[in-house]
Amino acid sequence: MIETLLYGFTIGAILYFFSIGLSITFGTMQIVNFAHGMIYALGVYFFITFMPVVGRFFPLAMVLAILLSIPIAYIIERFVIRRLYGESLDYAIIATYAVLLMGTDAIKWIWGAAPQPVSDPVGIGVRILGVNFPLYRIFIVISALALFGALRFFFSRSIVGKIVAAALEDREGVRCLGLDVNKYFSIVFVIGSGLAVLGGVLYAPIATSEPYMGFHILLVAFAVVIVGGMGNLTGTFISAFVLGMVIAITGRFWSTAADTMVFVVMALVLLKGSFWKSWQRLTRMGARA
Amino acid sequence: MDFISVAPYKRGLIFRDMAIIGGAFVLMALFLRLNWVIDFTIFAILVLSYDLLYGYMGRLSFGHVLYYGVGAYTASLFLVHVSPNPFWAIAAGVAAGAVLATVIGFIVVQTQGAPFALVNLAFNQIGFWLAASGLQRFTRGEDGLPSSVAAVGFMDFNDKPTVFILALICLLAVFLILKIFTLSPYGVLIRSMKENEDRVQFLGYDTFRYQWLTFVLSSTLAALPGTLYAIFYGFVAPTVIVPFGNIEVIFAILIGGAGNLYGAMVGAVAFKLISNILATNITRWEMLLGALLLVLVFKFRRGLTGFAADLLSRFRGKQAMEV
Repeated sequence: MIETLLYGFTIGAILYFFSIGLSITFGTMQIVNFAHGMIYALGVYFFITFMPVVGRFFPLAMVLAILLSIPIAYIIERFVIRRLYGESLDYAIIATYAVLLMGTDAIKWIWGAAPQPVSDPVGIGVRILGVNFPLYRIFIVISALALFGALRFFFSRSIVGKIVAAALEDREGVRCLGLDVNKYFSIVFVIGSGLAVLGGVLYAPIATSEPYMGFHILLVAFAVVIVGGMGNLTGTFISAFVLGMVIAITGRFWSTAADTMVFVVMALVLLKGSFWKSWQRLTRMGARA
Repeated sequence: MDFISVAPYKRGLIFRDMAIIGGAFVLMALFLRLNWVIDFTIFAILVLSYDLLYGYMGRLSFGHVLYYGVGAYTASLFLVHVSPNPFWAIAAGVAAGAVLATVIGFIVVQTQGAPFALVNLAFNQIGFWLAASGLQRFTRGEDGLPSSVAAVGFMDFNDKPTVFILALICLLAVFLILKIFTLSPYGVLIRSMKENEDRVQFLGYDTFRYQWLTFVLSSTLAALPGTLYAIFYGFVAPTVIVPFGNIEVIFAILIGGAGNLYGAMVGAVAFKLISNILATNITRWEMLLGALLLVLVFKFRRGLTGFAADLLSRFRGKQAMEV
């Protein structure tokens, strides 16, 4: 059971890394950004390519992968996302999905479709109370907690963070102060993309890396963003760990249902208002009959 | 913004258009592989049904394929366990889609925008999981469910031309139904709700009822191509109900032009042609498709039919085109 809980925390941490960027674009620009899955997958493939070059030194390969994905994230923001601001939801979805499709195809083109294994960089486990804890997973969870603290600091203390946090509340209000909101959004977009790559790289030794990895995490991450409240960063943190735990616990007892249970939770959250309205309608219809 | 126009289209033109559509599909059947064209026809019905929900009422859904899959699985199970008569199987599949849409629709149409799209996605995922593993005893999971149909009178549905004629008749019938619905005051009402739901409410309409009705109608019509799929292939696997299938439907409708029945059909055929021809001849077809979609979103918002209508109206001077 303790192993399951640790697994849940690990998944939750990875989901948190991935969902921050998604949540920010959702909250600030009302855009469902499918291209986030592409940055994630691309970053992991960069990492896999850099690993032999830097002599299997994990942190350096990770930093290089993040640095290389930053310009790509910027290009996507500048030429696709920014042009979609104020458009209806569907065009944004199609355009970012097209980017995801092209990115996935590019990965298949360059690296091939076969899954790429990455070995555990730490590999030592600690034994507590007779249970073997892989140290690497504990490290992932701790780094997610550290990131949460760092982001809290960023959004409450730094100027860029404060501006974006204010724009999440009221975009027009911030523009009225004479600030170029787009500039700050692209900074935060790039940060979010970098964090997705970080999460992907940290997850790579545990999962298998294949071209469609971005698709799989996207669906679950949508659920995280919805459950946490779109653009609510503390909510995203909590819901990432809650849903990670849902995946781990469901997976332990009923392995095929793990992802579906996440969607059940998402549907319940989305429909919490609708159930009440439906009940009212039904009783009204009953009263009339 | 598209304005709402009803007047220029005369009812008698429906039959002319049906003849053109039927002729176009028969021509394709003569010149392309019949297997492909049957597949196109089935997909065109699915896209048409989605057009009512998305194109006319403006509700983007990521869960439309759920009803397609439910139709396919119900028809297959009916063929295997109850009777090999294809017509009853179609009726059973469509009825199952209608019942499910009535129940789910009652709850989901009360959400809007992204929540509506994603809550449908959630239901689609649940349906996919049920087909792939939850109800494995009935659906045989990933292995798929084979079925066979019996001949009815002179009609043998193991014979491809017969299936093609059946699919084409269904397509024309769905087109006729949708044309009548969208030209009626109800059609004007759902298009008005797309523009501004609050104003429609101010006029005293209970918008919920019309949205519910549209959802049920659209989903029921989506179950029909599912049943045809089951009859045509004689085999149903969880791929028919996979949530990413919705993306194909949305692509098709945007390529053709949403909010326009001709656009839905043109888009369905164009998308299937692109994905069949490109996928067999060009290795990097996904990249091409992605680039094409970016061009569509940024340059040709109204799709192929919208583009054609613009060209035509420029050619004829500033005459208004009914699209």
